[in-house]
Formats: sequence, C-alpha cells, structure tokens
Amino acid sequence: MADSTSDGVPGIAEQYNLLPKLIPNLDRHLIYPLLNFSSDEDAEHPLEQKKLLLELLKPTNMTDFVGQLYQEIHNLSDMPEEYKKKRDQVLKRRDQLEEETSKISGLLDDESVVTNLRSDKVQNLAYLKENHGVTVEMVNQLYEFGSFQYSCGVYPHASELLYRFRVLSTDNDKVAEANWGKLSSEILSVNWEAAMEEINKIKENIDTRLFNNPLAQLHHRTWLIHWSLFPLFNFDGARDTLTEMFFSPAYINTIQTNCPWILRYLAAAVIAGRNRGRNSSQYQKQLKDLVRIVRQEGYEYSDPVTDFIKALYIDFDFEEAQKKLGETEEILKNDFFLLGTADAFVDSARHLISESYCKIHQRIDIKDLSTRLGLSQDEGEKWIVNLIRDTRVDAKIDYQAGTVVMNHPPQSVYQQVIERTKGGFFRTQVLSAAVAK
Amino acid sequence: MSRFFTASDSSSEESSEEELYSEEEEEHSEEESEEESEEESEEESSSGDETGANRFLRDVSESEESDDEDRVTQLKSAKDKRYEELEGTIRLIENAERINDWVVISNEFDKLNRQIPALIKQNDGKTPKLYIKAIADLETTMLETIEKQKVTPKKMNAINQKGLNAVRQRIRKNNRDYADDIEAYRKNKDEFMREEIVEEVAEKAKKPKRQLLDPGEAITAADDEGFTMVGAGGRAVQFTPESILKHIRGIMEARGRKNQDRLEHIRTLEKLFDVAVNDYQKIRVLLTLISTRFDLTSGTGSQMSQEQWKLAENEFSQLLKILEGTKDIVVIENAEEWEDDDKLPTITPGEIFRIPGSVVSFVERLDDELTRSLQHIDPHTAEYVDRLTDEGSLYTTLVRASVYVESLKHNPRLDQSQESVNRVVMRRLEHVYFKPSQVVTILESNTWKAIPSGLDSQITPRAIANDTASLVQTLCTYLFKNSEGIIRARAMLCQVYFLALHDQYYRARDMMLMSHLQETISNFDVNTQILFNRALVQVGLCAFRAGLVYEAQTSLQEICGSNRQKELLAQGLQMQRFSQISPEQERLERQRQLPFHMHINLELLECVYLTCSMLLEIPLLAQIGSSPDIRKRVISKTYRRLLEYHERQIFTGPPENTRDHVMQASKALSAGEWKKSAEFINSIKIWDLMANSAKIKEMLSAQIQEEGLRTYLFTYAPFYDTLSIATLASMFELPERKVSAVVSKMISHEELAAALDQVNEAIIFRKGVELSRLQSLALSLSDKASGLIEANEKTLEQRTQGTANAFERQGGQGGRGGRGGRGRGGGPRGPGRTGGGRNQQFTGGALGRAIQA
Repeated sequence: MADSTSDGVPGIAEQYNLLPKLIPNLDRHLIYPLLNFSSDEDAEHPLEQKKLLLELLKPTNMTDFVGQLYQEIHNLSDMPEEYKKKRDQVLKRRDQLEEETSKISGLLDDESVVTNLRSDKVQNLAYLKENHGVTVEMVNQLYEFGSFQYSCGVYPHASELLYRFRVLSTDNDKVAEANWGKLSSEILSVNWEAAMEEINKIKENIDTRLFNNPLAQLHHRTWLIHWSLFPLFNFDGARDTLTEMFFSPAYINTIQTNCPWILRYLAAAVIAGRNRGRNSSQYQKQLKDLVRIVRQEGYEYSDPVTDFIKALYIDFDFEEAQKKLGETEEILKNDFFLLGTADAFVDSARHLISESYCKIHQRIDIKDLSTRLGLSQDEGEKWIVNLIRDTRVDAKIDYQAGTVVMNHPPQSVYQQVIERTKGGFFRTQVLSAAVAK
Repeated sequence: MSRFFTASDSSSEESSEEELYSEEEEEHSEEESEEESEEESEEESSSGDETGANRFLRDVSESEESDDEDRVTQLKSAKDKRYEELEGTIRLIENAERINDWVVISNEFDKLNRQIPALIKQNDGKTPKLYIKAIADLETTMLETIEKQKVTPKKMNAINQKGLNAVRQRIRKNNRDYADDIEAYRKNKDEFMREEIVEEVAEKAKKPKRQLLDPGEAITAADDEGFTMVGAGGRAVQFTPESILKHIRGIMEARGRKNQDRLEHIRTLEKLFDVAVNDYQKIRVLLTLISTRFDLTSGTGSQMSQEQWKLAENEFSQLLKILEGTKDIVVIENAEEWEDDDKLPTITPGEIFRIPGSVVSFVERLDDELTRSLQHIDPHTAEYVDRLTDEGSLYTTLVRASVYVESLKHNPRLDQSQESVNRVVMRRLEHVYFKPSQVVTILESNTWKAIPSGLDSQITPRAIANDTASLVQTLCTYLFKNSEGIIRARAMLCQVYFLALHDQYYRARDMMLMSHLQETISNFDVNTQILFNRALVQVGLCAFRAGLVYEAQTSLQEICGSNRQKELLAQGLQMQRFSQISPEQERLERQRQLPFHMHINLELLECVYLTCSMLLEIPLLAQIGSSPDIRKRVISKTYRRLLEYHERQIFTGPPENTRDHVMQASKALSAGEWKKSAEFINSIKIWDLMANSAKIKEMLSAQIQEEGLRTYLFTYAPFYDTLSIATLASMFELPERKVSAVVSKMISHEELAAALDQVNEAIIFRKGVELSRLQSLALSLSDKASGLIEANEKTLEQRTQGTANAFERQGGQGGRGGRGGRGRGGGPRGPGRTGGGRNQQFTGGALGRAIQA
C-alpha cells in the first residue's frame, strides 16, 4: 500500500494489475490488444512496451509488423535482413498452402457442390472423394492453412478456412483445436456473435469429450473463461449468457480453484449489469452467489473490487465501501476489459450502497449520504429522489432538516404466514399429480 | 557276516586303543542322542568335512558287505552294535510291512529315528545308506498302502489306521531332511549302495596314516578354519564359514517351535556373524539374527527390551550397509530360497543375486516395537525421554531403508512392486507429520549426517532436507501419485495435520474437503479413523488460532462434543460406565494407543472447544431468549449441559479449572460484562501452551467484545426505545464505526428489529414486533408445513431420480443458502465448496463404531 500512497492513484491500478495472471491463459494474439491497451493513452509507445510486443509476436508470422517493431526499437533505417528473409519464406509458404488448398476451396465455393453436402460429415467426405477427388490430406491442408493465416494475423480468412475444415474433418482432436482457433479468430476480427457460437461449442466439447479427464477439463475451462472475457465486456448480447455460464457450478468451481482473479470481472459484470435488469430476482441471486464466493475466496484473492463487495455486504462498513469504490473506479479505468463498464459499474455500485444504506437506516442526512456517494448535495438530493421513485421505498425528504426519513414497516405476522404458505397448495397438487402419474 | 554278529560283544576288548577311542566316541554320541537337537546334528554333519571322513565307514561297510577285506582291523565296537541294532529295527519294519501292521511300523520307525542321529555322528556326518534305503522303502510302501486304502472298501482297524497316519506324518517330515539321498537311492538302487564300496576302497590306502594323526587333527583343523568353542557338554562346537548356512537352516527350522532357547540361537548367530567371510553369508546371518531377535518377544502383550531393540537396530543398519556396498546381492521379498546348504551360491558380478527377505518389514517391525515400548513406559519418567531418543536412530534407519528400497525399485531388472516403497515412505511420513518443523529440521539434518554421503534419495533429495514443509509435501505428493487406498488417505491426512499444525488453515481445510474423506472414513480401519480424527481436531485448533471461531467450533464439534475424546484420539482409555467392553477389546484398544509424545493436549482441546462454543452459544441464547418459541437451535450439547449444570449450583466459588473459567466467563458474557468475561478467559493458564499466546488472548478479547455487544443488544433490545451508538461504543470500548457495522449487520440479517438514525447516531428499536404466543406458533406451523412439502418433493425427486422435475423449487425459499449440496460439482472441489458458507461443516467424523464392534 506504500506504493499507492506515494504515487497516488495509478499505484493502485499498477498494484492490482492482473495482466501477469491473465497472460498464461491467453493466446499470443489475444494478448496483443491487452499489451497494446495501456499505451493507447500515451501517444508514444514506450520502448519497454515495444520490446514486450516484439518478444510476444516474434514466433508469429506477422513478419512485417515484427520487423517494423524491431526497426523502431533499434532505430534502424531499414528492416533487418532476417525479417526480410522470413517474410519471403512466409509469403512462399502462403502461396504454397494457397495452391494446395485451392482445389478444395474452389469446390466449397462452388454452389452446386455445397448444395450436395449434408449434415453427415463422413458422407460428405465420401461424396467429395467420389465426385471431386478430395482426400483427407487435402482437408487437413485446410487446417494447416487456417492456422498459418491465423499466425499471419489474417483472422477473417483463418476463421473461414477453419470453418471449412471443421465441416469436413472427422478428426475430433483437430476439430477441437480448430474450434479454439476459430474462437480466437472471431474475437480478433470482432465478430462477437460468431464468437459466442464458438464458446458454446467449446463448452459442450469440454463437457462431453473430456469427461474422463478432470484436470484437462479444468484447464480448458480456465482458458475458456479467460477467452470469453473478450465478448463478455465488449458485446452486450453475450453478457447474460456468459455470466450465467460463469455462475454454473462447473465454472464457478474452476474460478475458485484455478483463477480467483476472474472474480473481479465477474463482480464487475454482475454489478454493472444491474440496470439492465429485466429480471431482478435473477440479479439478486447472482449478487448473493457473488457475495458468497467473494467471502469464500477472501483468503486467496482480494482486490478493491472484491473488497468493495466485502465491505458492503459482509462487513456493512459503508465508509470502507465508499473508499473501495474510489479505488475500484481507478482500477476499472485501467483495465482493458473493464474500461467500457466503469461508469455503469460506479453508478450501480452507488445504487447498491444507497439501497443497503436505506434498508438499515431510518433517518439519513442528505448531506452525509451525498458525500458518501461522492456527489454534491444537490446531486445527492436528486439521486435520492430518483432512488425513492425507482425502488418505491417508503421514504420522505424532510427538506428543512435536510434529512430523509425512511419508513420500514415491520412485516406483519399475518403477512409472513401468508408468504410462507402461499405456494403450499399448488405445490402439493403438483406433487400429488406427479405421484399419481 | 554272522560271525561278526556273534562276536560283537567281545570285540570291544580286542584293541585297547580302539577301545579307548570308541568309548570316548560313545560318550559323545550318548550326550548327543540325549539332546536330539537337530541343530547339533546339522552342525556335526556339516563340520565333518573330508579331513576326518570315513574313518569308521569302512567298518560299517565291512560288517555289511565285505568280509574279505582288511581283516587285521576287524573290530566290534559300540558303533557296530548300533549298526546291528539299526539293521534289526529295519528288519522288523520290513516284516511288519509284509503283514501290514502299522502299529509296529510306527513304533519301530520311532526307534529307528532315535538311533539314527547317533549313527550319523559316528559316521562322521554321513547318513547310513541302510537307513536311507529303509526309509525310502517305507515311504513307498506307505504310499502304496494309502493308495490301496482309497480303493478298497475294507477298512483297516482303528489302531492300525492310527499307526499308519502317524507314520505318514512323521515320514513326510523326516524324509525331507534326507531328500537328496533318497532321490539318489531311488534313481539307481544298486549304484547307490555300491558307490560306497568304491569310495571305501579308495580311502583305504590313506587309512593308517590318518589314524595316527587323528586325535589332534580335528582340533587343529578347526583352529585353522577359524573358531572353536567349547559347547555346553564340554565338546567342541565349531563355527566355520562353510557351516554357517547349515546353522542358519537349523535355526530357521526351530523358529516358531516351543521350548527353544532363542537367546542361545542369538548367541550362536552372533558368533556366526563373526566368522562369516563373504557378504552373502553375512547377509544371511543378519537376516536370521534380526528376525530371531524379533521372535524373542512374540505375542501382543510384551515389548522388546531396549537392549535387544538397539542390537536389532544396529544389526539392521549393518545389513543395510552391506547391502549398500554390494550391488550384486539384493534382499527382496519374492526371491527363491537357496536350497543347497553345503555350497555357496556363486555370485557373478554384474548378475543380481536375490536373497529372500524384506527390508521393509524389518524396519516396520523396529518401528512397531519402539512404539509398543513407548506405549508401556510411563511418559512422565526419564525412561520415556531416554527411550524417545531412540527415535532419532530409528528415523535414520528408516530413511536409509527407504533409500535402499528406492534403489531396488529403480532397478528395472528386479521388477519390485511400488508397494514396499510406499510402505516405507508412509512410515517415514508418520514420524514427521505431527512434529513442528523446527524439530523435523533437526531430525532431518541429523539423519542425513548419519547416512553416508554417497547415498541420496530421489524422492526426497538431500538438498531439501532443510526445508521441512516441502519435505512433508514431497513425501505426500509421492504417495498421492504412487499409491492408493489407505496409504493415500493416510498421506492426505498426515499432510492436513501438518498444514494445520503450521497454521495454514485454508490449505489444510481445502485439502480436508477435497479429499472427500469425511464421506468414506467410516469404511477405513480404526487406525486411519483415529488419524482422521486427529487431523480434524488439528484443523479445528488451527482455525481457532486464526481467529475463526465458527470454523473451529464446527470442526471440533464431532470429536469434543462426543465426550469420548480420549477414545477417538487414542490417547488413553476412557472409563465407560454403561458399556461393557471385553478384555479382548480392551487389549486391542490398548494396542492402538498413541505414544505420549504424539498426543494432542486434551485439556487445551476442551478449553478451545468450550471457548468457541461460548462465543457462539451465548449470543444465540440471548437471541432466542427473548422469543421463546423460535426453533431451538443448539450448537453444542456438551456446552449447554455444562452451562445448565453450572447454573444449578447455588454457590459458585472462584473458578478452579478450565471448565469453571469458561462457565463463569459465559455467565459474565451473557450479563453483558464483557470485561469480566475476557478476564476469566484470559486467566486460563493453558493458553500459555499455545505459541503466541498473547496474540490469542488479544484475539479472544476482541471476539468477546463483539459477541458481548451482540448479546447485549439481543438481551436488552426489548427494554430500549433508542440507544445511542456512542454509548454502546464506550460500553464495549469499540470504535463507533465498528459498532455501527455490527448493528447494521444484525439489522440486515433481520436479527434485530431496529433501524439506524444517522442524524442522531442512534439505534431506533421498532415496536410492536413482539409476537404473541399464538402468532409465533402460527409462524412455526407454517414453517413446518413448508418444510414438509419440501421434504416430500425431495423424496419424490430421489425416487424418480429427478426425472419428474415437474416442480422447480422457487428460488430463495427459507434461509437455505444457495444451491445446497446438490451441485453436481464437476471440479475437484466438488460439493464441499459449493455448499454455501455456513454449510461447510466437517461431518462424518469417525466415531468409534469400529471400536465398539
């Protein structure tokens, strides 16, 4: 913490930087935007960063870019020889692969051929073999070319090739690998819907194919969780499905066991998703699960985001929560994934604080609450009015005294009994029907 | 021939020299025949090597077959008489065989066997051929008879039958000793008998010379070869390198019989070890010697004396040293026994020669014996400490054995099973897991110092010896990888114990839960159950040290709440008033007891348990105290009982023991006097036994403050309308922020019907929440009804295996946390972790069901 006091706020972001933890679980190409992210703000890439990027991308086939980086780092006027040579090699290899796959690609482009394909892979292959002389090797060439293109950074094409390969190949292992490749390509070509499809495919694959190997399951799930962070925070449609996936027993176990830092993203996703709440009971449930898991994992992982949840829901320490919220904001703004959701998060977090605050307090000083939420008094008043209107809390503002008075009517006993016995009759009926069946 | 028979009586007078000698011989043989010990005969037969051979044999064969040779020395002596007797007996047997009279055969056979040792001795170790012929024939006849018996319906009479059976048994045993000779005889009867004559002729030329030399020869010969000892009867017992194997065989065969003087055997073996010249002999002698030492104290009641133990330990390390030195000989369990006692096996370098035996069992036995003797020594005496020092050397031996076994395992030609390595690693683990790391570090460094520097273990390399935590980790990981079943479970428990001992609560807890042992522990053997209990208790203590009162209480509950701590932890027999246990059970239980140095302090345990229970129970009691009809939740029955008992007392004096302290503290706490309560708790002396006791007391005071506040609020809420937070803060000496946090928590969990007033910094208690009796009954009825429905649904679901899930339970019913234990947990953490914070209990502790059984 000494760090954060001396350097101020950036220290916190630095301190809780998750990059080192994320990197082992991501693909080279996926890491690139993460590394590149922090430099977006500064116009000039610092030298260190460039070196990092160079190291990162060296094994890939993006020779032009790598060469350029090298040139910049070493202040050379021209691209060094080795990169040129490699570039030539890469180009040659590409031409070769293109040639080799041209036939099958041509076939698949052919409308008349495609219409003859059915859902049965074996049959398709047999058909192509008979009528067009396609061999298994040719299909595998597609895979080769796909991974080559991916390595070159030509993601859309890679995705296309891998898709074709997948349609035809019967080799399950390779298909699984192609799935990953395709997911990565889709993510990098910002094609979220397709990426979601891939995620589902991989998820199923993990559940069914790796059934007997819990360790591999764990690893694959860890990867999948990390990879799906990209759509989670960049594609609105993915958020519900992915949060749900993260909360499913298998995945939450994976997070707890192998990568507790994901809790930050999960917490951010849950809290920021508050306003989208078509389904408030589901939201409540997710929040409850989240609180439980944060508490359980408190000994293993904590950062301001989880601390915020802990302060608010476990210790009921509002001052601490407020402090953590400030830190959290800073962190979110410095995180590649969470940048976009930072505002929504802070907004929702304020709501949560005030909600919980109002639940416990009977009389609240508006001024105090406003400072608690980090707002001015007027803003605070507006905020409270909105809150009262939105959540239909039984509360009044005493303008003269500058307070809000909450009215918490105790739940009457009759109401409680009614609540508890409400579903009883229906449930019994269902039960008896089920027994009679 | 008949001539000699008739002359036999007078023959002894004929030659004075021969006379003298034969008398001397007679004395020998008489003594020996009295003893009739197989050992002796073996020894004699082996020591009688070629130097003094066949001196008398000539006479024997003469009297039997050749009467035309060497008439000058025609003598009749006692030995000849014996031969005649033998012949007579054999003839009787033959006759009886003809008439199928097995009673006679049986008697005569006995007589024959009584005669034969003496004859063998006379004969300088050669078994008379005549005898071989007789027993071989007898066996054949006997087998034939038995065969016949099977086919013919006609029964033998009972006595006869009995005789036959007796003979059969005896002959089987007897003939084993002469198996080689019998074999030779059966192969070629004529040749067998003739052989002797040829030998005889060859021998003749040397004869006179030899007779001259004779008296001194035996002794000088023996001296040359090593060692002469005057035996019990004044005769020379000779130990020579060649005879070692025979001696060993003799002792091995005597093993397990009654009335054997084992100490005598040990002495013999020690001598043998001194004369042993090569590694093979040494190893054989040591193997026998160690097991003989163990035999000294067979039976469950007695333990090995320290002296014997030390010797055995010493010899064992000698054995290891030899084995480490010679790569060509290994001692493994599944080796073939070397049958030929007369000659040494040829050990070719490069080839591995296998000797049957088990290094692992020896070291296990040593370990067991030490434990057993520690069990019997009063732990508060110097003797105990003295004995405990042996553990160091035992540990060294263990490590050394493990290095050896490991090297065997790594030798691909031996095809050793993993199991022995596992066993020895497990033993080693069991010596370290309960010790604090400083102690283990010392132990380890001493051990490695004592082991020759050339040796190193692959499982636990020398380099990590200083790092105790990783030592235990490495041992356990090795066992996880390579073993299964009980050993694996035990390894896990040991690691849990070790982690908990070193204040790594979360790791210990996670391992405990991930092992899923609490579900299966009841299927394990009692010792493992005890280990489980120990680990569980240690986890609880660890949680307590970490300030996690709830967790500590739940993990200790099972053991301490049962009132049978002693029994469950195997730390002493508990007197039970109502259950009768048989002496047999008691004996078994005594065997299971842990030596004192492994004990977990029971008083400390009780103190921790009661303190934790107090911190949880007192607020709970206060909470339900105000509304009598809420479901009565009891956390600890033991604690409640003690509390009730305490409250019944009319006069309470100052606290004397731990219990009194906790009880009076509880009383003070429930009255809201947290300071007094903390004082009581902190004055318990036993906290000093814990490391960092000051910190623990501090932690306890903080806990008491907080729980005191809660108790106060629960107890006095009905009497207040508002309550200032500042007042509370000063009352409990807590910061205001902390007080409001505690109150907020209570309000939020609906434990307290109140709200905070931020403006006035006060708690405002809601009125009209007090329920009438009818109302609270209605509430509990509705609760029970919904509980019933849920139970029904669950039953149906189980019956239909979830196929009829017509009813998804509506979310958030009742206070049941999250997705209870139904999660089909895919990950390794499984349901234990998914099952909600408050569901994390250690259940299924191994109650001593098996102990009762």
